[in-house]
Amino acid sequence: MMSHILLQIVVVPAIASLVILLTRQQIGKNAGWLAGCSLLYSTGLLLLACIRVYHGEIIVENYPFVSSAITFDLLGDGLSLPIALIINMLCAALAFYAMHYVEHRIEAIYGDVDERTWRNHYTRFYIMFLGFPLGFMGVCLVTNLIAMYFFLELLPIPLYFIMAMFGYVDRVKVAMICLLWAITGASFFILAALMTYSQIGSFHISDLSALAGNPMAFWIILFFLVALLVKMAIVPFQVWMPQVHAEHPTCIAGLLAVYANVAAYVIVRILVFPLLDDFKVFSMPLLILGLATMVYGSLLTMAQTDVKRFAACSTISQLAYSLLGIAALTITSLEGGMFFFLSHIMGKTILFSTAGILVYTTGIRDMRQMGGLASKMPITTALWIMGAMMLSGFPPMSSFPAEWLLFTGVFHTGIEMMPGGLIIAILAATAITLTVAYTFRSAKIIFFGKMNPDIELHAHGEIKDPPAMMLIPLLFIAGVSITLGLFPKIILTLFHNVIGTLPLP
Amino acid sequence: MDTLQLAWLCMIFPFIGVVMIALMDRISPTLRSAAAVLFPLLSAAASLMILPNLFHPGALPLESSIIWLDAPILVEFGVLVDPLSIILANVVAIVSSIIAVYCLGYMEGDPGKTRFLMLVNLFIGSMLLLVLVNNLLFLFVGWKLVGLCSYALIGYYWRDEKKYWIGGPAPTKFTTPSHCGLKALVVTGLGDMLMLGGFFIVYYYAKTLNIMELYSTASIWIPAMAKTPGMIILATCLLLAGPIGKSAQFPFHEWLPEAMAGPGPVSALIHAATMVKSGVYLVARFIPIFYYGYWVAGVEEASMFFTIVAWVGVITAFVAATQGLVALELKKALAFSTVSQIGYMWVGLGMAGLSQSVLVGGTTSGIFHLVSHAVFKACLFLCAGSVIHAAHSIYMNDMGSMRKYMPITWIAMLIAALCLMGLPPFPGFWSKDMILLKALEAHHLPIFILSMLTVVLTAFYTTRMVGMIFFGQESKNVQHLKEEGKPPHEASPTMWGACAVLAVLVVALGLLGPKVEHIIQEGFSANLTGTLSLPVMPAGEHPFNYHIFVSVLSVMSILLGAIPAYMIYISRKWDPKAMVEGNSILQSFHKFFWNRWYIDAFYLKFIMNGTLKLGNIVANKIEKNYDNLSHTKIPGFVVDRIPALFFRLQTESEDLAFNLVYILIIFIGFLFAVLL
Repeated sequence: MMSHILLQIVVVPAIASLVILLTRQQIGKNAGWLAGCSLLYSTGLLLLACIRVYHGEIIVENYPFVSSAITFDLLGDGLSLPIALIINMLCAALAFYAMHYVEHRIEAIYGDVDERTWRNHYTRFYIMFLGFPLGFMGVCLVTNLIAMYFFLELLPIPLYFIMAMFGYVDRVKVAMICLLWAITGASFFILAALMTYSQIGSFHISDLSALAGNPMAFWIILFFLVALLVKMAIVPFQVWMPQVHAEHPTCIAGLLAVYANVAAYVIVRILVFPLLDDFKVFSMPLLILGLATMVYGSLLTMAQTDVKRFAACSTISQLAYSLLGIAALTITSLEGGMFFFLSHIMGKTILFSTAGILVYTTGIRDMRQMGGLASKMPITTALWIMGAMMLSGFPPMSSFPAEWLLFTGVFHTGIEMMPGGLIIAILAATAITLTVAYTFRSAKIIFFGKMNPDIELHAHGEIKDPPAMMLIPLLFIAGVSITLGLFPKIILTLFHNVIGTLPLP
Repeated sequence: MDTLQLAWLCMIFPFIGVVMIALMDRISPTLRSAAAVLFPLLSAAASLMILPNLFHPGALPLESSIIWLDAPILVEFGVLVDPLSIILANVVAIVSSIIAVYCLGYMEGDPGKTRFLMLVNLFIGSMLLLVLVNNLLFLFVGWKLVGLCSYALIGYYWRDEKKYWIGGPAPTKFTTPSHCGLKALVVTGLGDMLMLGGFFIVYYYAKTLNIMELYSTASIWIPAMAKTPGMIILATCLLLAGPIGKSAQFPFHEWLPEAMAGPGPVSALIHAATMVKSGVYLVARFIPIFYYGYWVAGVEEASMFFTIVAWVGVITAFVAATQGLVALELKKALAFSTVSQIGYMWVGLGMAGLSQSVLVGGTTSGIFHLVSHAVFKACLFLCAGSVIHAAHSIYMNDMGSMRKYMPITWIAMLIAALCLMGLPPFPGFWSKDMILLKALEAHHLPIFILSMLTVVLTAFYTTRMVGMIFFGQESKNVQHLKEEGKPPHEASPTMWGACAVLAVLVVALGLLGPKVEHIIQEGFSANLTGTLSLPVMPAGEHPFNYHIFVSVLSVMSILLGAIPAYMIYISRKWDPKAMVEGNSILQSFHKFFWNRWYIDAFYLKFIMNGTLKLGNIVANKIEKNYDNLSHTKIPGFVVDRIPALFFRLQTESEDLAFNLVYILIIFIGFLFAVLL
């Protein structure tokens, strides 16, 4: 089990997907269990790998691919493994959560269908779903730009099909929008990768440092950044996010937040580490973009009445925190930024999935038509509030220490770059109040006050908390977030082993 | 068991209580209630066992910690036992445990009692965490948790049934509990975030979050900070934003009058024992740092800390007192009085740094007033809860003559009210007079005069409150209750018992006032001038005896406020309605104060609605148009025009120039790609 551990982590979802594809009529409803269990297995492997790395080991596995330039080498270190672990855990949780949700979507979209068709739809979801962990694990662990490009661009494919087949209103159109934006970002990424190759003759991330000081380095970094900022939906590239996130089935909407946020990891891995000095010139522009996105995203969220779109717009704002941490370029801000990335995806998974529960239960998406649901859905209410706490950085959630570290670094850079930097730092810290305002205001609108008497008319049966299978994974994620909030050392030690080596304050 | 272990236990007990309440709820309601009271009482016992250390301040501070995080920054989680934390821990733990007992009767039969009791324990635990921890990060954890608990407790009646609305009577707007909770969270949250910015600036220069290390290294980092002009003023403003928010000081004071939407004991907790005191505590914590900066390091900017604190305090004290003059809701009148009294504490603390002879006295006055206020305000709020319970109304004009029905509550409330007014020999007299004395000693006459004027207003609104509730004719509401067979009656034993205990404490604290003041002063003297080696000067010669002057002036001010109120609301010889209606100036003032100086309306219109409007502009104008451009117009252009270009190329071949340019563009594009 311990040999080729990283390879197993990457390919297990692919194998599970293939098994479901080949046995879809036989496996039927058990596809969810197979997907979930396979992901639990890879999560277990990741946990073991993390323990090894915690004790000082660095796991490297070399797999030649097309040529010596394009390899499938995998690296498990203190940065890649904890990120992969949390992402994989979320994928596993959502695989279980999705079991009921997909049934509901099939019924809502395709109506009463025969058993065979139903099984085709159901298994199709999980075949595609497993593309996410495959892509994410690849992105986290590979050491080659082309391999990273491959996995990054693998992700829009399941996204497109799941969106088109299981999404909400305008799902096909929005799936196309999502794909086109992904291709736009990908074009810049591959362009930057090819430019890199033209300069240093290698696609290996570890060789990128050879670009340092090269006049082309600025343009290469710029193109990489454009590609990744498009994925992160940073202003002015945010326009795709609200629609795409809002129309997806919510069982993968949490993974969409990962899809966008994983770009922050890629920036650190391929730009900050090898090209630190050349990257410094982008620090201030990225700080400004980060702040603009935080405020713009928060204001946008505040105006939303659609519960799914609400969660989608908040992602725009939250992604900017990680960018802010990266842009500040200090050890604490980078570690805080990465930690916030993990905290955010956990919080967003809870918030999106809870939004899904609301739509699943009440049949409506407009928050204004809800109200007073806490009396009927107490656990869902608790989950939403925990999601709000995670986004707003309240203790004991993991986002609290993450935000603390992030802003320690942002203020450090802010003071060094006075007065502009300090103004950005203060405004960014203050902008968190907007997050508190919109998340807790949404809780008030949805769950508190008088219950709308018409709500039962839209509901699929009685209004109550959903089945345990939908709640337990989310409660588990909240538990992980609280654990990491109380004991952040677990993850920060791993991060620090890698990020701490950077020559930064 | 040593002092540090007791401090740890004092902090941890309420958190254990939270878990135990949840567990006991599964077994029996009695055990659940027992757990809800036991753990705050254990905390109170632990804090009392620490108290003797205050008599030997030379052995303080004591500190114990464990490493919570070692990379990328070192953060320790520990307790700090010094005079300030000992006093605050005792105030919080003792007053909160009495309130916890009161809760049992007050919340009897409430379906959400378990949630309520858990939140109360969490609230107490968070506040104890805030005052006992040894570093700014965990102080902020306590700070945020206190905010979160207040949100949950203020909005406890989240169903927003009409009977729990506050505000009014019509046409004045009503507010729902869930709205009030959210308002408290957001307003204090804004202050929190600004304060966090201040923490980060301090950390940048000091490289530590440990409170004692911040004190001991001030000689290095304060001068370093002072090298950047304006940096200390910026840090001061940011650091004070948090306490201003939490202590409901001007301009962030508007959340507190609405924080009484929660159950009665919650108001008592927020106002007396926990939340609003956290701001006072933090200001007192920062005093040594800024005092050092100004008086030792000679950094002029550091004096701004004290100036801001004192002026914010006195403005708040005055503004809130004027609002208290016209309030109709009982708890709102008390809320205004809290805001006003906290303002007094800030005045005392501000004075500490404005003169070298007032450091110890100023700090003592602020904290002594905190202690006395905690006791009498808890008593007032618990009595108010009982009265509201009995009268089934939140308005004082729905009460009247209640002393007949609630004699114990009446006596307890009267004692606490006299203390609020600052009448001798109650503790409010000693502590408030000390603040006024320090303002005079620091030669800040405008602050002294405004504070004295506030004494007049305090005496007026307090007498008015007592008169409207307990004297005069029975209101129609009371008569109606009697007709319905539900006449007002004395509260349950746990409720009146808690009120009585607090009233006895008020009297005892008053009788021991000078002694208590002396102990606190000795503690701070040893800490500030001994341990922290802050230089002080002996008080200069005064042209006359300030002490007697302030006491006499203070009592006269009380009489000046109380006599008219007595004539109007107790003896009922003057008719307030006729007085106001016959005088346009009084009418204008009444309207102005009733509308809370229009400050709340300003926030509502420009801050809240302004932000929402801005959100709508972003969503419906900017984002919508951008979305339309990106996903409709540009794709439409591309889809429509590119085939048209091909079409032209094929059919309009005689247009040589067009075709040439077209082919060139494509060629150059290819060339660029290949070269790349």
